[in-house]
Amino acid sequence: MTHLTLDVLVGLRDPGTEPGHATAREHLNGCPHCQAELQRLDQRVARLKALPALRPARDRWPETRARFQAERRQRRTRMVGFTGLAAAASVALALAVGDFSRPVEIDADQLSQVMERSQVLESALSDYNPEGRVLDGRTARIAGELEDLIARVDRELELTELQRQQATDQDLLKLWRERVGLLDALVDVHVTRASNAGL
Amino acid sequence: MDSSLLANAETVVARARTGDTEALGELFRAFEVPVYNLARRICRTTEDAEDVLQETFFEVCRSVNRYREEGSLWGWIRTIAASKALMRLRRNKYRETEELHDEVVGNRREDTPLRMDLEAALERLSETSRAVVWLHDVEGYTHEEIANMMGKTPSFSKSQLSRAHARLRNWLGEEMTP
Repeated sequence: MTHLTLDVLVGLRDPGTEPGHATAREHLNGCPHCQAELQRLDQRVARLKALPALRPARDRWPETRARFQAERRQRRTRMVGFTGLAAAASVALALAVGDFSRPVEIDADQLSQVMERSQVLESALSDYNPEGRVLDGRTARIAGELEDLIARVDRELELTELQRQQATDQDLLKLWRERVGLLDALVDVHVTRASNAGL
Repeated sequence: MDSSLLANAETVVARARTGDTEALGELFRAFEVPVYNLARRICRTTEDAEDVLQETFFEVCRSVNRYREEGSLWGWIRTIAASKALMRLRRNKYRETEELHDEVVGNRREDTPLRMDLEAALERLSETSRAVVWLHDVEGYTHEEIANMMGKTPSFSKSQLSRAHARLRNWLGEEMTP
Protein backbone atom coordinates (compact mmCIF):
# COMPACT_ATOMS: atom_id res chain seq x y z
CA MET A 1 0.00 0.00 0.00
CA THR A 2 1.35 3.42 -0.92
CA HIS A 3 1.02 5.96 1.85
CA LEU A 4 0.68 9.70 1.50
CA THR A 5 3.93 11.61 1.26
CA LEU A 6 4.79 14.30 3.78
CA ASP A 7 4.34 16.88 1.00
CA VAL A 8 0.73 15.83 0.62
CA LEU A 9 0.09 15.63 4.37
CA VAL A 10 1.52 19.12 4.90
CA GLY A 11 -0.66 20.38 2.04
CA LEU A 12 -3.77 18.82 3.55
CA ARG A 13 -3.36 20.96 6.65
CA ASP A 14 -3.85 24.15 4.60
CA PRO A 15 -7.32 25.50 3.97
CA GLY A 16 -8.61 25.24 0.42
CA THR A 17 -8.54 22.34 -1.96
CA GLU A 18 -5.80 21.58 -4.40
CA PRO A 19 -5.89 19.06 -7.24
CA GLY A 20 -5.44 15.62 -5.78
CA HIS A 21 -6.54 16.55 -2.27
CA ALA A 22 -9.90 14.78 -2.63
CA THR A 23 -8.17 11.49 -3.47
CA ALA A 24 -5.65 12.05 -0.70
CA ARG A 25 -8.42 12.67 1.84
CA GLU A 26 -10.15 9.53 0.73
CA HIS A 27 -6.96 7.57 1.35
CA LEU A 28 -6.42 9.30 4.68
CA ASN A 29 -9.87 8.38 5.92
CA GLY A 30 -9.15 4.71 5.48
CA CYS A 31 -5.47 4.61 6.47
CA PRO A 32 -4.52 4.55 10.17
CA HIS A 33 -0.84 4.86 9.25
CA CYS A 34 -1.35 8.18 7.42
CA GLN A 35 -3.77 9.37 10.11
CA ALA A 36 -1.07 8.77 12.71
CA GLU A 37 1.46 10.66 10.60
CA LEU A 38 -0.90 13.61 10.18
CA GLN A 39 -1.53 13.59 13.91
CA ARG A 40 2.23 13.68 14.57
CA LEU A 41 2.46 16.63 12.18
CA ASP A 42 -0.37 18.43 14.00
CA GLN A 43 1.30 17.77 17.33
CA ARG A 44 4.63 19.09 16.07
CA VAL A 45 2.97 22.31 14.93
CA ALA A 46 1.16 22.59 18.27
CA ARG A 47 4.50 22.18 20.06
CA LEU A 48 6.07 24.87 17.85
CA LYS A 49 3.27 27.24 18.79
CA ALA A 50 3.75 26.40 22.44
CA LEU A 51 7.49 27.20 22.49
CA PRO A 52 8.20 29.87 25.10
CA ALA A 53 8.47 33.43 23.85
CA LEU A 54 12.07 34.64 23.61
CA ARG A 55 12.75 38.03 25.12
CA PRO A 56 15.38 40.63 24.23
CA ALA A 57 18.28 40.82 26.65
CA ARG A 58 18.35 44.60 26.69
CA ASP A 59 16.01 47.51 26.28
CA ARG A 60 16.13 48.80 22.70
CA TRP A 61 13.49 51.50 23.13
CA PRO A 62 15.84 54.38 24.13
CA GLU A 63 17.90 53.84 20.96
CA THR A 64 14.81 53.49 18.80
CA ARG A 65 13.27 56.65 20.25
CA ALA A 66 16.51 58.61 19.85
CA ARG A 67 16.81 57.52 16.23
CA PHE A 68 13.21 58.48 15.54
CA GLN A 69 13.64 61.86 17.21
CA ALA A 70 16.83 62.51 15.25
CA GLU A 71 15.04 61.76 12.03
CA ARG A 72 12.11 63.91 13.05
CA ARG A 73 14.50 66.77 13.79
CA GLN A 74 16.14 66.46 10.37
CA ARG A 75 12.73 66.41 8.72
CA ARG A 76 11.74 69.43 10.79
CA THR A 77 14.85 71.34 9.76
CA ARG A 78 14.05 70.67 6.12
CA MET A 79 10.42 71.64 6.71
CA VAL A 80 11.48 74.85 8.48
CA GLY A 81 13.51 75.85 5.46
CA PHE A 82 10.63 75.18 3.10
CA THR A 83 7.65 76.57 5.02
CA GLY A 84 9.76 79.43 6.33
CA LEU A 85 10.60 80.55 2.84
CA ALA A 86 7.02 80.06 1.73
CA ALA A 87 5.63 82.05 4.64
CA ALA A 88 8.10 84.88 4.27
CA ALA A 89 7.51 85.05 0.53
CA SER A 90 3.78 85.08 1.03
CA VAL A 91 3.87 87.96 3.52
CA ALA A 92 6.36 89.90 1.40
CA LEU A 93 4.19 89.44 -1.67
CA ALA A 94 1.07 90.58 0.16
CA LEU A 95 2.88 93.75 1.25
CA ALA A 96 4.38 94.39 -2.18
CA VAL A 97 1.21 94.07 -4.21
CA GLY A 98 -1.07 95.46 -1.56
CA ASP A 99 -3.23 92.44 -0.97
CA PHE A 100 -6.18 94.13 0.69
CA SER A 101 -8.45 91.12 0.48
CA ARG A 102 -7.26 90.11 3.93
CA PRO A 103 -5.70 92.11 6.67
CA VAL A 104 -1.91 91.97 6.91
CA GLU A 105 -1.33 92.34 10.59
CA ILE A 106 2.42 91.89 10.71
CA ASP A 107 5.34 92.92 8.60
CA ALA A 108 7.60 90.42 6.88
CA ASP A 109 10.56 91.38 9.06
CA GLN A 110 8.88 90.16 12.22
CA LEU A 111 8.22 86.75 10.74
CA SER A 112 11.67 86.53 9.17
CA GLN A 113 13.33 87.36 12.46
CA VAL A 114 11.45 84.66 14.33
CA MET A 115 12.17 82.13 11.61
CA GLU A 116 15.84 83.05 11.58
CA ARG A 117 15.96 82.60 15.33
CA SER A 118 14.33 79.20 14.90
CA GLN A 119 16.97 78.19 12.38
CA VAL A 120 19.78 79.35 14.65
CA LEU A 121 18.38 77.21 17.47
CA GLU A 122 17.92 74.21 15.17
CA SER A 123 21.49 74.62 14.08
CA ALA A 124 22.69 74.83 17.70
CA LEU A 125 20.79 71.64 18.50
CA SER A 126 22.18 69.91 15.47
CA ASP A 127 25.75 70.90 16.49
CA TYR A 128 25.11 69.69 20.01
CA ASN A 129 23.95 66.32 18.60
CA PRO A 130 21.79 65.15 21.53
CA GLU A 131 21.29 61.69 19.98
CA GLY A 132 24.98 61.02 20.26
CA ARG A 133 24.99 61.72 24.02
CA VAL A 134 23.84 59.83 27.05
CA LEU A 135 21.04 61.61 28.90
CA ASP A 136 19.93 61.01 32.47
CA GLY A 137 16.33 59.87 32.83
CA ARG A 138 14.92 63.25 33.92
CA THR A 139 16.64 65.23 31.16
CA ALA A 140 15.60 62.64 28.57
CA ARG A 141 11.97 62.87 29.74
CA ILE A 142 11.89 66.68 29.62
CA ALA A 143 13.67 66.75 26.26
CA GLY A 144 11.23 64.15 24.92
CA GLU A 145 8.24 66.20 26.06
CA LEU A 146 9.66 69.32 24.41
CA GLU A 147 10.34 67.39 21.20
CA ASP A 148 6.71 66.25 21.21
CA LEU A 149 5.47 69.81 21.71
CA ILE A 150 7.67 71.06 18.89
CA ALA A 151 6.36 68.28 16.66
CA ARG A 152 2.80 69.40 17.51
CA VAL A 153 3.59 73.04 16.65
CA ASP A 154 5.20 71.88 13.40
CA ARG A 155 2.06 70.01 12.43
CA GLU A 156 0.00 73.11 13.18
CA LEU A 157 2.39 75.17 11.08
CA GLU A 158 2.01 72.74 8.19
CA LEU A 159 -1.77 72.92 8.50
CA THR A 160 -1.73 76.69 8.71
CA GLU A 161 0.40 76.83 5.60
CA LEU A 162 -2.07 74.58 3.80
CA GLN A 163 -4.96 76.81 4.85
CA ARG A 164 -3.36 80.16 4.12
CA GLN A 165 -6.59 81.59 2.86
CA GLN A 166 -8.23 81.24 6.25
CA ALA A 167 -5.23 81.72 8.45
CA THR A 168 -3.90 85.12 9.33
CA ASP A 169 -0.24 86.02 9.37
CA GLN A 170 -0.72 86.65 13.04
CA ASP A 171 -1.51 82.94 13.45
CA LEU A 172 1.71 82.08 11.67
CA LEU A 173 3.76 84.45 13.75
CA LYS A 174 2.23 83.09 16.94
CA LEU A 175 3.09 79.51 15.98
CA TRP A 176 6.63 80.42 14.95
CA ARG A 177 7.12 82.26 18.26
CA GLU A 178 5.82 79.25 20.14
CA ARG A 179 8.23 77.08 18.19
CA VAL A 180 11.16 79.33 19.03
CA GLY A 181 10.19 79.33 22.70
CA LEU A 182 10.11 75.53 22.78
CA LEU A 183 13.38 75.22 20.87
CA ASP A 184 14.97 77.68 23.28
CA ALA A 185 13.83 75.50 26.15
CA LEU A 186 15.14 72.37 24.44
CA VAL A 187 18.54 73.93 23.85
CA ASP A 188 18.56 75.05 27.50
CA VAL A 189 17.76 71.55 28.69
CA HIS A 190 20.59 70.03 26.70
CA VAL A 191 23.18 72.74 27.23
CA THR A 192 22.40 73.20 30.93
CA ARG A 193 22.62 69.50 31.44
CA ALA A 194 25.92 69.41 29.54
CA SER A 195 27.42 72.27 31.55
CA ASN A 196 26.20 70.78 34.86
CA ALA A 197 27.73 67.46 33.97
CA GLY A 198 30.89 69.14 32.71
CA LEU A 199 30.44 67.68 29.22
CA MET B 1 -4.45 39.68 20.09
CA ASP B 2 -4.32 43.50 20.15
CA SER B 3 -6.53 43.78 23.21
CA SER B 4 -4.56 41.16 25.12
CA LEU B 5 -1.32 43.02 24.42
CA LEU B 6 -2.60 46.56 24.64
CA ALA B 7 -5.96 47.16 26.27
CA ASN B 8 -6.49 50.70 24.97
CA ALA B 9 -4.92 50.21 21.54
CA GLU B 10 -7.12 52.74 19.73
CA THR B 11 -6.33 55.55 22.15
CA VAL B 12 -2.63 54.78 22.15
CA VAL B 13 -2.51 54.69 18.34
CA ALA B 14 -4.38 58.01 18.15
CA ARG B 15 -1.80 59.57 20.48
CA ALA B 16 1.09 57.95 18.64
CA ARG B 17 -0.17 59.49 15.40
CA THR B 18 0.33 62.93 16.89
CA GLY B 19 4.00 62.07 17.41
CA ASP B 20 3.62 61.49 21.14
CA THR B 21 6.75 59.50 22.01
CA GLU B 22 5.21 58.26 25.23
CA ALA B 23 2.44 56.59 23.22
CA LEU B 24 5.02 55.20 20.79
CA GLY B 25 6.86 53.86 23.83
CA GLU B 26 3.65 52.16 24.97
CA LEU B 27 3.35 50.48 21.57
CA PHE B 28 6.95 49.32 21.88
CA ARG B 29 6.39 47.85 25.34
CA ALA B 30 3.20 46.10 24.30
CA PHE B 31 4.60 44.41 21.20
CA GLU B 32 8.31 44.18 21.99
CA VAL B 33 8.26 40.50 23.05
CA PRO B 34 6.22 39.06 20.13
CA VAL B 35 8.27 41.10 17.65
CA TYR B 36 11.56 39.99 19.18
CA ASN B 37 10.36 36.39 19.39
CA LEU B 38 9.42 36.38 15.71
CA ALA B 39 12.73 38.00 14.77
CA ARG B 40 14.76 35.62 16.92
CA ARG B 41 13.00 32.58 15.49
CA ILE B 42 13.91 33.73 11.99
CA CYS B 43 17.36 35.29 12.50
CA ARG B 44 20.40 33.38 13.56
CA THR B 45 21.74 35.62 16.31
CA THR B 46 20.31 37.60 19.19
CA GLU B 47 22.10 40.69 17.82
CA ASP B 48 20.30 40.37 14.50
CA ALA B 49 16.98 39.86 16.27
CA GLU B 50 17.56 42.95 18.42
CA ASP B 51 18.39 44.96 15.32
CA VAL B 52 15.19 43.73 13.68
CA LEU B 53 13.29 44.76 16.81
CA GLN B 54 14.72 48.26 16.56
CA GLU B 55 14.19 48.50 12.79
CA THR B 56 10.60 47.36 13.20
CA PHE B 57 9.68 49.96 15.80
CA PHE B 58 11.58 52.70 14.00
CA GLU B 59 9.33 51.93 11.04
CA VAL B 60 6.26 51.82 13.31
CA CYS B 61 7.15 55.29 14.67
CA ARG B 62 7.60 56.67 11.17
CA SER B 63 4.52 55.17 9.60
CA VAL B 64 1.92 54.85 12.35
CA ASN B 65 0.02 57.54 10.43
CA ARG B 66 -0.32 55.13 7.54
CA TYR B 67 -1.83 52.35 9.67
CA ARG B 68 -5.43 52.22 8.46
CA GLU B 69 -6.94 50.02 11.20
CA GLU B 70 -8.30 47.67 8.53
CA GLY B 71 -6.58 44.73 10.13
CA SER B 72 -5.31 44.19 13.64
CA LEU B 73 -2.54 46.37 15.01
CA TRP B 74 -0.49 43.28 15.78
CA GLY B 75 -1.02 42.03 12.20
CA TRP B 76 0.36 45.32 10.87
CA ILE B 77 3.35 45.37 13.21
CA ARG B 78 4.01 41.67 12.62
CA THR B 79 4.18 42.14 8.86
CA ILE B 80 6.72 44.93 9.30
CA ALA B 81 8.74 42.70 11.64
CA ALA B 82 8.61 39.69 9.31
CA SER B 83 9.73 41.82 6.35
CA LYS B 84 12.60 43.31 8.35
CA ALA B 85 13.70 39.86 9.55
CA LEU B 86 13.62 38.42 6.03
CA MET B 87 15.48 41.47 4.75
CA ARG B 88 18.14 40.84 7.38
CA LEU B 89 18.45 37.22 6.22
CA ARG B 90 18.93 38.34 2.64
CA ARG B 91 21.45 40.97 3.67
CA ASN B 92 23.52 38.64 5.77
CA LYS B 93 23.47 35.89 3.16
CA TYR B 94 24.26 33.32 5.77
CA ARG B 95 25.33 29.92 4.68
CA GLU B 96 22.78 27.23 5.26
CA THR B 97 22.74 26.13 8.87
CA GLU B 98 23.37 22.54 8.06
CA GLU B 99 26.53 23.35 6.12
CA LEU B 100 27.76 25.46 9.00
CA HIS B 101 26.77 22.79 11.44
CA ASP B 102 28.80 20.22 9.52
CA GLU B 103 31.83 22.48 9.67
CA VAL B 104 31.49 23.40 13.29
CA VAL B 105 30.70 20.06 14.80
CA GLY B 106 32.70 18.08 12.24
CA ASN B 107 33.72 14.89 13.93
CA ARG B 108 31.22 15.36 16.71
CA ARG B 109 28.34 14.35 14.46
CA GLU B 110 28.33 10.88 15.96
CA ASP B 111 27.72 12.39 19.37
CA THR B 112 24.57 14.13 18.20
CA PRO B 113 21.71 12.67 20.20
CA LEU B 114 19.18 10.71 18.24
CA ARG B 115 16.37 12.75 19.69
CA MET B 116 16.90 16.50 19.70
CA ASP B 117 14.54 18.79 21.48
CA LEU B 118 12.32 20.97 19.36
CA GLU B 119 14.24 24.19 20.06
CA ALA B 120 17.50 22.61 18.94
CA ALA B 121 15.91 21.02 15.90
CA LEU B 122 14.32 24.31 14.86
CA GLU B 123 17.63 26.09 15.32
CA ARG B 124 19.33 23.51 13.14
CA LEU B 125 17.07 24.12 10.15
CA SER B 126 18.33 26.33 7.36
CA GLU B 127 17.51 30.02 7.66
CA THR B 128 14.94 29.89 4.90
CA SER B 129 13.25 26.70 6.07
CA ARG B 130 13.03 27.97 9.61
CA ALA B 131 11.54 31.25 8.46
CA VAL B 132 8.91 29.43 6.39
CA VAL B 133 8.04 27.03 9.23
CA TRP B 134 7.69 29.86 11.70
CA LEU B 135 5.73 32.20 9.46
CA HIS B 136 3.38 29.47 8.21
CA ASP B 137 2.87 27.16 11.16
CA VAL B 138 3.14 29.59 14.05
CA GLU B 139 2.28 33.04 12.72
CA GLY B 140 -0.35 31.72 10.31
CA TYR B 141 0.81 33.34 7.06
CA THR B 142 -0.30 31.63 3.84
CA HIS B 143 2.21 30.36 1.29
CA GLU B 144 1.17 33.22 -0.99
CA GLU B 145 1.94 35.80 1.69
CA ILE B 146 5.26 34.17 2.54
CA ALA B 147 6.17 34.02 -1.15
CA ASN B 148 5.41 37.74 -1.47
CA MET B 149 7.57 38.64 1.50
CA MET B 150 10.43 36.43 0.34
CA GLY B 151 10.22 37.34 -3.33
CA LYS B 152 9.71 33.65 -4.19
CA THR B 153 6.85 31.51 -5.45
CA PRO B 154 4.19 29.80 -3.31
CA SER B 155 5.56 26.46 -4.52
CA PHE B 156 8.95 27.40 -3.08
CA SER B 157 7.33 28.11 0.26
CA LYS B 158 5.39 24.82 0.18
CA SER B 159 8.43 22.74 -0.66
CA GLN B 160 10.51 24.47 2.04
CA LEU B 161 7.80 23.67 4.57
CA SER B 162 7.55 19.99 3.75
CA ARG B 163 11.33 19.60 3.60
CA ALA B 164 11.58 21.30 6.97
CA HIS B 165 8.98 18.97 8.47
CA ALA B 166 10.77 15.94 7.06
CA ARG B 167 13.97 17.09 8.77
CA LEU B 168 12.26 17.95 12.03
CA ARG B 169 10.58 14.55 12.03
CA ASN B 170 13.94 12.82 11.64
CA TRP B 171 15.77 14.93 14.18
CA LEU B 172 13.00 14.56 16.72
CA GLY B 173 13.04 10.80 16.31
CA GLU B 174 9.49 10.71 14.94
CA GLU B 175 10.29 8.53 11.93
CA MET B 176 7.33 6.83 10.34
CA THR B 177 7.24 3.12 10.76
CA PRO B 178 6.22 1.36 7.54
